[in-house]
Amino acid sequence: MRKISISRQILTQGVFLLVGLFILIPIWSTVRLAFDGSLRGRPTTFTWLPKEFSLEAFLNVLDRPYQSVEFSILLRNSMVVSIGAAVLALLLGVSLAYAFARFRFPGQTAGLFILLLAALLPPIAFATPLYIILSILKIRATLIGLVIVYAAFAMPFGIWNMRAAFQAIPKEVEEAAYLDGASHFQSFLWISLPISLPSIAVTAMIAFLMGYTEFAIGWLFVDKAANVTLSMAVYALVNGQFSGAQPWSYLGSLAIIMSIPVIIIFIIFQETLMERLLFQETS
Amino acid sequence: MKFKTALRILSILIVLAIAWGLRARALAMLSIDFDEDDYLRAGQEYAHLIRTSNWSGFLEANYRPEHPPLAKIVIGVSLLSAPEKQLTPDRPTTAEPNQYLPRDLVRPARTTNAALGWLTVALLTLINPLAGLALATHAMTIKYVSQIMLESLPALTSFLMVLTYLQFKKNHKTGWLVASAIFLGLTAASKYLYCIIGIAILVDWFLAAKEDEKIQPFFKQAIFWGILGIVIFFAANPYLWPDPLTRLRESVFYHAGYSTSAEEVQRSNFPFWQQFNWLVFSVSFWSPDVFPFTVDFLIVLFAVFGVSNLWKKERLYVLWLGLALLFLMFWPTKWPQYLMILMVPLALSSAEGMTRAWQGIASAFTNWQKNKIVYKKKETRQAVAWLVPGLIAFSVLTLLPFLFQLGVSITDFNSSSIRDGFQGGIWREVFGGLTGQIEATSPEYPFRSNEVHYTGFSGYRSIFDFITINGVFVFNILWMIFSTGLQVILGLGLALLLNQRGVKFSKFWQALFILPWAIPEFIGALLWLNIFVPEIGWLSLAAQKYGETFPLNFLIGWEDSPNRTLLVLLIPAIWYGFPLIMLAASAGLKMIPKEVFEAASMDGANSLQMLRHMTLPLLMPVLLPAIIIRGIYAFNQFYLFQAFPFNYQTLASLSYNLFNPSSGFGFAGGQFSVSAIINIITVIILIGLVSLFNREMQVREEFRNA
Repeated sequence: MRKISISRQILTQGVFLLVGLFILIPIWSTVRLAFDGSLRGRPTTFTWLPKEFSLEAFLNVLDRPYQSVEFSILLRNSMVVSIGAAVLALLLGVSLAYAFARFRFPGQTAGLFILLLAALLPPIAFATPLYIILSILKIRATLIGLVIVYAAFAMPFGIWNMRAAFQAIPKEVEEAAYLDGASHFQSFLWISLPISLPSIAVTAMIAFLMGYTEFAIGWLFVDKAANVTLSMAVYALVNGQFSGAQPWSYLGSLAIIMSIPVIIIFIIFQETLMERLLFQETS
Repeated sequence: MKFKTALRILSILIVLAIAWGLRARALAMLSIDFDEDDYLRAGQEYAHLIRTSNWSGFLEANYRPEHPPLAKIVIGVSLLSAPEKQLTPDRPTTAEPNQYLPRDLVRPARTTNAALGWLTVALLTLINPLAGLALATHAMTIKYVSQIMLESLPALTSFLMVLTYLQFKKNHKTGWLVASAIFLGLTAASKYLYCIIGIAILVDWFLAAKEDEKIQPFFKQAIFWGILGIVIFFAANPYLWPDPLTRLRESVFYHAGYSTSAEEVQRSNFPFWQQFNWLVFSVSFWSPDVFPFTVDFLIVLFAVFGVSNLWKKERLYVLWLGLALLFLMFWPTKWPQYLMILMVPLALSSAEGMTRAWQGIASAFTNWQKNKIVYKKKETRQAVAWLVPGLIAFSVLTLLPFLFQLGVSITDFNSSSIRDGFQGGIWREVFGGLTGQIEATSPEYPFRSNEVHYTGFSGYRSIFDFITINGVFVFNILWMIFSTGLQVILGLGLALLLNQRGVKFSKFWQALFILPWAIPEFIGALLWLNIFVPEIGWLSLAAQKYGETFPLNFLIGWEDSPNRTLLVLLIPAIWYGFPLIMLAASAGLKMIPKEVFEAASMDGANSLQMLRHMTLPLLMPVLLPAIIIRGIYAFNQFYLFQAFPFNYQTLASLSYNLFNPSSGFGFAGGQFSVSAIINIITVIILIGLVSLFNREMQVREEFRNA
């Protein structure tokens, strides 16, 4: 294939520039908002740059972003809930994933279909019955309740992806172990699991992010300020800024703080994450 | 063979009986609608002229002159058998329907229209009894052909125009062409809107002529057809005779003015896709008890799956359907009766869809019987040990909640009856109801009783009507199509540009372009909210400052316009969604061997040809599953709509807000069972979409292995 001509190069770069602008508009708008110390309520005029550069909003949200709850508590809640949910979902799902990857049994096709369907349902479809069931068990508004709910969202996706990871291991590798007298469980524990660990880690990361970025179901379940997570606090700021209780810069700064770790994860693992999120078989 | 013929005749007779039964019931029971008083008055004027043999009066009489007179004259003729009454009063078009029209005039006028509507069904049934059945039972059609409207006559004549044209296409006999032109003229003299079908004919004709390389005779014949149609139009339109040009201009320009400035059109403020809402609308909402059943939605659903087969059988019908829908999307006036221009091809397509569905089920069944896999007993036993722990967890966290949801959906469980529900009320009512011990109470919304009651499955019907009538259903589907489509265009386009040979800074651009994907979805939505909120958002402020004349002015007052609201919602959706498609397409492009392109460029293919004939066909099997997954995500889009509380909902956000006991934005919250029904409807739709994904994945695997 020939290299492209200069005019085409210029045209291409022009298109990229436009799309780049489109990408940066909301990001720049939020950065500008987050660093603006002049805001006491809502913005009233259009400005390209912050009127008064200040870190006040950042310092405020790093102290007590939501009501009187400290940032560290929010962060702790977020970590407890999302790590707990990811670990729970994978632990509970791993045997099912292995069964679907290694054996042929009646109902397998139908089971896979149900799994995929469950992985693609909107979270709200799980949340409503769980809300009632967990209310009956009286753990709805606790962090354990949230761990269970988020684990329920993440599990079908986790099983689907772990299955793909196990399937990518050639059957012969395990068969060699059987010849040496290993049981299925042993070969799973010492061969399949270690080989697919990187792949499972990525799945765990996605499960973690599901919990880390979820807010709506959280607000449905939690009614105590002490159990609020970071992303729930971000959403609470939206209401705070509309009612004029907080300056609009707070939302911007908390959103930036919250996003940075996620952005780093995505940039590092982009190709793998893309495959997982599109339910593609691992290549 | 004889038996088959008898069966066909019998089915035709049954369809005709059903068609007349439903129309007769409707014409007797429907309450008076907008415009019926106007057309009745026009009919009365013509009846009076005929009675007094005042033939020259026809030159001046044409009440509501924006519509040509033929359909009104037919109403006049039908009134001759009725006693002469005082003229219906002249009222503005904004007036509420006049409920005091004399019944003995309404009845013959409606019966005539219904008879013409029935004739359309009869013609269609002769061609395809299944399509006839669809048209016979379509409630919106029944309504508008059984009232004193101007739809029945042009619907019939336009169908005749198409049938005679199709005969001409087959045997090239001039007689059919003349007949078609006559029907064209009669159609135009009844209602202008139906002339769009003439355009569909011209397109089909032109395409056929191009295939046969007979462009020259096509132009001659088409001009003859058009001129003859115009002559007939004038002949059937006595009102035009005294002053043709002025009166024609007045009546045509009236519609352009009406569509952009009439008060009722402005006030209704429909989105451009409103006609799709009318297509799935349940007419029982307007006129309860008139229709024993409404299956309009099913007819449309089958029609969607029948289009491709209909195209293979007779292209013209699909052109008719497509052009009519396109026109109705752009035409600013969105009255539901305009749908009558496309009912015939819709019914035909629906019939094809039904046939296809039936064949699909039959072949799936035979395949299933043929391909029974034999499982090894030993392997199954080994699998059980692995399956059990995971199955328990999956059942507890996923299946059990879903079953619980099914149970809740047949009760009136809500936040007021939460105590009773928790103490076993749900189980009591569901078990009692399903075993017949408890009678179903009819649901009344919103639910506020403090005890759980069994409602049976009647809730499904009313909730489905609710989401089709308020437009959530159609919006959700269109949202999926638009948002995914635009993401694919941008994502695929950028991937192709980035993967050109020798593009500078491509690594840098790619890193920048995936940034939105890395930002959590709800944060992305909030970033855009900070931009678009009316009078506060960054670009909304910019629009106030600079945008009056140039590019941002669509942001001024966007929240009042349904179309611009859609645009404002699509922008963040595209922003967030295209990077994943771009990555998937890039990965797919890398899989295509470079030699393929080199060989093609040696053969002198230009880049556009390579794109169309090589890149896209090679890329599609890889990309299509990704696109479907994105479509499913778009269908389920929740956080964006939760962050943007303006006008629109998806099923997911609607379910959330109806469930949430403390929800705002004017929702009746705590409606647990309504939310459960919506979730189940979502599951049903997703089953369809996931099956599609599975099929495409299989294609992809075959493609990879090939």
